Amino acid sequence: MVKDKQKTKISLKKDELFNCSRCGNCLAVCPIYKQELDESVTPRGKLSLLEAVDKGVMDFTNRLSDKIYTCTMCNSCTVECPSGVALKEIFEAARLDLVDSHRYPEILDMLKKRIAEGHNVTFDTNEGRADWVKQIPGAKLEDMIKDSAEVVYFAGCVSSFSPRTFSIPRSIVQLLDQADIDFTLLGDQEWCCGFPLLSSGMEEEAKKLADYNVAKIKEKKAKMLITSCPSCYHTWKHTYARLSTEAVDFEILHISQYLLKILKEGKLSLNPLHMTVTYHDPCDLGRNSDVYEEPREVIQSVPGIQYVELEKNRAQANCCGGGGNLESLDADLAASIALAKAAEIADANVDAVISACQQCERTIGTALKKKKKELKKKIKVWDISELVLKSVQGK
Amino acid sequence: MKEKHIEKLKEIVGQKAVTTEVEDRITYSFDSTRLEYLPDAVVQAKNTQQISEILTFANEENIPVTPRGAATGLSGGCLAVKGGILLNTVHMNKILDINPIDLLIDVEAGVITEEVDKSVSSYGLFYPPDPGSLKSSTIGGNIAENAGGLRGLKYGVTEDYVNGMEVVLPTGEIIELGTRTVKGVTGYNLNSLMVGSEGTLGIVTKATLSLLPKPAARASLLALFDQLTHAAQTVADIVSEGVITSTLEIVDNVTINAIEDYLKIGLDRNIGAMLLIEVDGHQGAVDVEAEIVKKVAAKNKAISCKMATSAKERDALWAARRAALSSLARVKPSTILEDATVPRSKIVQLVEAVNDIAQKYDMPIGTFGHAGDGNLHPTLLTDLRIPEEEEKVEKVIQEIFEVTVKLGGTLSGEHGIGISKAKYLSLEISPEVFDLMKKVKRTFDPNNILNPGKMYFDD
Ligand SMILES: Cc1cc2nc3c(=O)[nH]c(=O)nc-3n(C[C@H](O)[C@H](O)[C@H](O)COP(=O)(O)OP(=O)(O)OC[C@H]3O[C@@H](n4cnc5c(N)ncnc54)[C@H](O)[C@@H]3O)c2cc1C
Ligand code: SF4
Ligand code: SF4
Repeated sequence: MVKDKQKTKISLKKDELFNCSRCGNCLAVCPIYKQELDESVTPRGKLSLLEAVDKGVMDFTNRLSDKIYTCTMCNSCTVECPSGVALKEIFEAARLDLVDSHRYPEILDMLKKRIAEGHNVTFDTNEGRADWVKQIPGAKLEDMIKDSAEVVYFAGCVSSFSPRTFSIPRSIVQLLDQADIDFTLLGDQEWCCGFPLLSSGMEEEAKKLADYNVAKIKEKKAKMLITSCPSCYHTWKHTYARLSTEAVDFEILHISQYLLKILKEGKLSLNPLHMTVTYHDPCDLGRNSDVYEEPREVIQSVPGIQYVELEKNRAQANCCGGGGNLESLDADLAASIALAKAAEIADANVDAVISACQQCERTIGTALKKKKKELKKKIKVWDISELVLKSVQGK
Repeated sequence: MKEKHIEKLKEIVGQKAVTTEVEDRITYSFDSTRLEYLPDAVVQAKNTQQISEILTFANEENIPVTPRGAATGLSGGCLAVKGGILLNTVHMNKILDINPIDLLIDVEAGVITEEVDKSVSSYGLFYPPDPGSLKSSTIGGNIAENAGGLRGLKYGVTEDYVNGMEVVLPTGEIIELGTRTVKGVTGYNLNSLMVGSEGTLGIVTKATLSLLPKPAARASLLALFDQLTHAAQTVADIVSEGVITSTLEIVDNVTINAIEDYLKIGLDRNIGAMLLIEVDGHQGAVDVEAEIVKKVAAKNKAISCKMATSAKERDALWAARRAALSSLARVKPSTILEDATVPRSKIVQLVEAVNDIAQKYDMPIGTFGHAGDGNLHPTLLTDLRIPEEEEKVEKVIQEIFEVTVKLGGTLSGEHGIGISKAKYLSLEISPEVFDLMKKVKRTFDPNNILNPGKMYFDD
């Protein structure tokens, strides 16, 4: 039960809820609706439920909660909304309320526990957080963890623990070495950034992580934090100022921005790659953080590359299904969204799709594999760091 | 509805395709009017046979059934005013056949409007009806409302493109109407009767739609005017010069200001009105017609009349027009979009009357719309949470409708009557005609189970 209706987070969004005219424009862009064709999980459907709660017509229920959490938090609805309703903010507020009233998917308790105990989203302890370094020829972890450095590379949970995406942090540290950057990892001292908690509505827990992580960067006396995970980037860049007690007084860049910077400074030299590629805008980097051009500039700076856009790109880009914890709540739905994305990529007739997110790389990779038989040719799925490393290494 | 009814529905469509949970029913209680009526059960239909079984059963048990597409309707057509079953048709979304020789496409009723156009594009064809909601709305909903769009002046409305359809009658029979031919006069034209029947005579399950070859060239022009009357006169003059433009859209000063507030594209806030004009066809014809348009605009004291010289410029013009409603929607929390339509020669009078009404009631109204069709969208900007506003809105709408009818116009050019305009029907339709419509309804639907409560047929 909600103790006091007036104190819910969504009650603060009353006007916004009212501003939705139910025009239905958002249906056309919602990845969930496109798969389910069910109004009860559309952007405006969700708003109608939250409005019903706010008006006292009904209470938060488990069923309502399931519907609110059936969302990749891709933010496409907000971009499309003619009335300017900030839907993602409303959904975030709703998730906070749902957690307050103990109506949230059980699986999130597991997540909370794992992060509290292991400081990461997996079942593993945090000690192996930088094990991915081991496979890099000639690399030693000790050399990559310094007491102080100009740049901290924050790898994030998924890239640190999911072997399928190890190639991303491995590519990045090799590029940083190649460019002679004074950088350090945090190793097992790196904790989850808190994004999975925030997007689940568990802000209090996320605050502790923010405080911890900010202190760690300060210990290293770093001027800059770079990360390859768009969700970490979004969290650091756009929520830590609010969450953290200490001031965030260092620069925060996504790897795509950082690569562009060091390319412009002439710190990396690129060899030609003769192939046609397209770029998939990760939701947390594009729509949610407004970073669209840097990844495109990096890709197009590789000599020999033929670059084409996907039919839907930048703010209109289709979500890959990997966000909002949807995968852990409804794996089939997330997979069908990924298949739709894969179909769009296949239509672009490219040799490779470049992303800038380990989650997108994984979901798109899996989906393209499932579609293998229908594809005219094999399509590679690379992170932007992998593309640049291949170009630097000339292979 | 009783438990046994729900069980029966589950038998027909399967467990998962029926829900009576309040969380689901709430989300199926609205459309784009923002009015709300809770259905008792929501059913997701997958095929014609299921719909036939549902209607047969509902007819026997006297349970109301309301068909629903994407619920972008602007007259409350898909609202379950009398409760009962809300029947969702969007899962029936297959494109069945494309025949580029006969210029026909067969689709299921739940196909999204834009998909029809996209799927024939590679054949060099297009599907002309283009309602503003085309990215979400369904063909079933378009047929039921006889939807129009921006290209109406030259290309007509949905009705002109529905060759035939498969329909389930309220009593459960599955029938086919229309032809696959260009002409056909065998018996009454029930196909046309079904178009615009707002889901009260039958549920459309499939449709055969006709297509046209894509025009080889097009040109877009933007004309700005000091005074709205000059813009309106230009509309009339373009047509009387023999130029049938594909698009002839008007945007008034209130709307221009709203667009500028939203998009900040450097529109002059003082101009009285702008016209967005598009001509299409063979390049030669397009060039000639564009010249005529420019001359007519100049004659009517246009401040400027410029042709878009690149695809980018053209897209910018269209973006501004498409943003009209969105921009108005941002001005106030509630926007009420009307659909008054008058003979082309009466547009000036209608707009002036609307402005007078706006002043009289101190209610901002932005007007834009399909000037070439005489179809305007006066949009009331208000906040319906303020108690007095609702009453004021009623009065404003009543007055707008009164002048519309007086000018020889009609209450609705394309959005339909549903429930939101039902009470004004008698302004336009005589008791005899209304009675005849009721009889038609009873003939199709003796127990009045299909979409009851609409157009006031049963009150
Ligand atoms: C932003 C916006 C712009 C719009 N622009 C235009 C425009 O330019 N021109 C225009 O004409 N309209 C416009 N509309 C109105 C609306 O989109 C149209 O009326 C559209 O045809 C409704 O389609 P739908 O699938 O959403 O139908 P719904 O709203 O779901 O239903 C509309 C009616 O159709 C009936 N119905 C639905 N499916 C079936 C079926 N299979 N068989 C029988 N009856 C059925 C319903 O019972 C209801 O009476 C606009 C609406 C919005 C929100
Ligand atoms: S696009 Fe915006 S106003 Fe329209 S239904 Fe969706 S949330 Fe509401
Ligand atoms: S955030 Fe994305 S998935 Fe969630 S409702 Fe909006 S469009 Fe749908």
